[in-house]
Amino acid sequence: MNKSSHTQPQVIDESGDKYKYGFVTAIEADTAPKGLNPDIIRFISAKKGEPDWLLEWRLKALEFWQGMTEPAWAKLSYDKIGYQDLYYYSAPRQKAAPKSLDEVDPELLSTYEKLGIPLKEQEMLAGVVAVDAVFDSVSVATTYRARLAEQGIIFCSISEAVKEHPDLVKQYLGSVVPYTDNFFACLNSAVFTDGSFVYIPKGVRCPMELSTYFRINAKNTGQFERTLIIADEGSYVSYLEGCTAPQRDENQLHAAIVEIVVLKDAEVKYSTVQNWYPGDKDGKGGVYNFVTKRAACRGANAKISWTQVETGSAVTWKYPSCVLQGDNSSGEFYSVAITNNRQQADTGTKMIHIGKNTTSKIISKGISAGFSNQTYRGLVKVAPGACGVRNYSQCDSLLIGENCGSHTVPYIENRNKTARIEHEATTSKISDEQLFYCLQRGISEEEAVSLIVNGFCKEVMQHLPLEFAIEAAKLINISLEGSVG
Amino acid sequence: MAGLVQNIPLIGAEIPWLRQLREAGIRAFENSGIPTAKTEAWKYTKPRDLNANDYIMDSRGETVTPGHFSLPFDGYRIHFENGIFDPEQTELPQGVEVLPLAEALLLRGETRGYLGRLVDLKRHPFAALNTGYLNEGVFIRVEKNVDLKKPLILINHTDSCGRNLFFNLRHLLILEEGASAEFVEIYHYGGEVKSRYFANIVTEAFLAPKARLQHYKYQAEAFKANHIALTAVDIETAAEYQAFTLQKGANIARNETRVSLRREQARAEVNAAYLMNGWATIDTTTDIEHLAPCTFSDQLVKGVVGGDAKGVFQGKIHIAPHAVKTGGRQLHKALLLSDTAEIDVKPELEIFADDVKCSHGAASGELDEEALFYMRSRGIGGEEARRLLIDAYLEDVIAKVPDPRIRAWFEELK
Repeated sequence: MNKSSHTQPQVIDESGDKYKYGFVTAIEADTAPKGLNPDIIRFISAKKGEPDWLLEWRLKALEFWQGMTEPAWAKLSYDKIGYQDLYYYSAPRQKAAPKSLDEVDPELLSTYEKLGIPLKEQEMLAGVVAVDAVFDSVSVATTYRARLAEQGIIFCSISEAVKEHPDLVKQYLGSVVPYTDNFFACLNSAVFTDGSFVYIPKGVRCPMELSTYFRINAKNTGQFERTLIIADEGSYVSYLEGCTAPQRDENQLHAAIVEIVVLKDAEVKYSTVQNWYPGDKDGKGGVYNFVTKRAACRGANAKISWTQVETGSAVTWKYPSCVLQGDNSSGEFYSVAITNNRQQADTGTKMIHIGKNTTSKIISKGISAGFSNQTYRGLVKVAPGACGVRNYSQCDSLLIGENCGSHTVPYIENRNKTARIEHEATTSKISDEQLFYCLQRGISEEEAVSLIVNGFCKEVMQHLPLEFAIEAAKLINISLEGSVG
Repeated sequence: MAGLVQNIPLIGAEIPWLRQLREAGIRAFENSGIPTAKTEAWKYTKPRDLNANDYIMDSRGETVTPGHFSLPFDGYRIHFENGIFDPEQTELPQGVEVLPLAEALLLRGETRGYLGRLVDLKRHPFAALNTGYLNEGVFIRVEKNVDLKKPLILINHTDSCGRNLFFNLRHLLILEEGASAEFVEIYHYGGEVKSRYFANIVTEAFLAPKARLQHYKYQAEAFKANHIALTAVDIETAAEYQAFTLQKGANIARNETRVSLRREQARAEVNAAYLMNGWATIDTTTDIEHLAPCTFSDQLVKGVVGGDAKGVFQGKIHIAPHAVKTGGRQLHKALLLSDTAEIDVKPELEIFADDVKCSHGAASGELDEEALFYMRSRGIGGEEARRLLIDAYLEDVIAKVPDPRIRAWFEELK
């Protein structure tokens, strides 16, 4: 430890800032029995009052999943997941669907208050962000729906969307990420319980940032969120996703899917701050995060931008991708990933260029500290007919301490001569000179590191919406605590 | 697959360690089989033609017309015909030993301590197969502090007379402390161009402290042939390895280089160029391991791909824990000349130490329209202008060849 820490009074309690959001709310869950079989799927589907086509689709996914093997190509090592030992459905107990916030379980609301999203106040005061808060698996309350509805925007939970907008769901669900896609996506397709649904009509610019806070609760529940966003022609939406989870010792599985359809001239901005429980210092506990995120730019001039700040989870497996089908469409990926202690992250993106004159940009910043390991894994693929493609990728890694690892594995597959593809990657540590400069001016080592790291990530952070940028900067500091000195 | 595993007479079958080594090789190959698209290390290069059953492994006793390969520089020549040593009297200077591998296996007991040490049989199926047929090849030893002024030139000439030959060559190079040498490998063909012969080559090189090896390779196999080569190099304190490979031929060609920078101040420079047309797949794969602090590596690979060809580059830099103050650089650039050409690149950094400087870069694109226009507006024809630009494209990588005589030769070849 450095000297300054000795002089500081010990006011912070043991849990301190280490994991601010670690607590379990005692709410009874309506839980399905352990395990995974067609009956459980029927249970989930019946519980949610789903139409037959969706049940059939789920059952098909389950059947396909049973023939798949868990992928092992990522640079990750974790205990084998007992898929039959998990609960696949647990919903907060409610009398009836809440019509307003008053009907929502007060204990649930206080949980959100601890997280810093007081729904009530938000509705009354800000009017900037509409929150579709997901507690475990069922949407509890959706605010501002009325205001959004005036413009024809649909923002609701996916189970509601199944009931109220079946045509849209049926048309687009699984069209970007089919259930055959990969092991975890297939599992999700079979057992997904809830998530968000967004539809922005033609030519509408969504007046506010849409946001969902995910919470993991109820012991042993895998979370299987499914998000579907459809941006119709000429529309625009910015979507925020933030995650925190209660502290617990058992590993929790999370296998979500985010599907985004971007039609002609539309634009979607998707930002994520992921702060799930990363496990303790020795790597005990923590969330397993296996996420499939993909956006399809279906029309000309469509635009998708992914921004992510990944600081949590014991194991992260996540590759937000862009399928650039429409001519002149563009995809962007901005990522900051921080791993500390025993965390492992294998993350990156895929840019699939199919349309002509499509462009993509990848900026990835990885910071490894402690005993953690991090991998950037990306693919840039140019189809034979995609003329005039432009891609630029930059992957920088920063290593803090001598026991961590940082790896970069970009794949580039180019089948068109007119494509211009550039990839750069660097790996280094915090330079002694920069550190010395700060120390010399009376900044403590820990503060100096966080200052330098924030500077290192700046390029990505500036793409976050303001609401997120502040939280994200704080998160970076929390994540790196104890990594120096 | 039976086509690649056959009973052929091998020298020294009665030597137990040699028999065991060969058996382990065959076993490892039979376990892993020919790599498929699911094998990560062979994701882009699919050795599909190698499944054929009609390979001929024993071509002894047949008469072939020896090929001649003229070179603009002088050196100590070592000839192979269809993968079989072709004795030629060359006077070697004091302190250098060059033997056919088969002879070295019988006469030089120390080969035991070196052979197979750098080859992971499980990871390299074709090198395992090669180990199973350890027999032909060359054994080179350069004694302490000997500085070889002229290059050692190994030429393999294949004239398969239309048959599908399969041959294995295994080379072992030992450079003792402070020794310095240049080693040039040339693979070319004569006669029937359409034969699907398969050359499977493994080279192991050991560089003792302060040794220096310049390793050059020119691959110009027949257009339906397969050429798969693994070069594994072990580099001790302050020793230096410099390599340049030019690949122009074969249907499927893979040149894989594995370098282990074992002690401090070890250095490696692995450069390559490839130039291709037709249906070929040319693969350049490197794997540089930094195992000690203060080790340095540098790679520059450039390619020009035309026709329906596919260029593949897979490059890995691995930094072991505690291998601090190391530097690893890598750059791959490719030029696509046709609408059907393809380029697949997978650079990889695997870093387990914090105080390092590593970087890699990859770029691909077509000929610069503006540069073409510039030349054409000055009266240079379209074809000529393209030729000039392609020439210029490979210029900087060839310029890295340290020996001026050899550099000039590569300039001619490209």
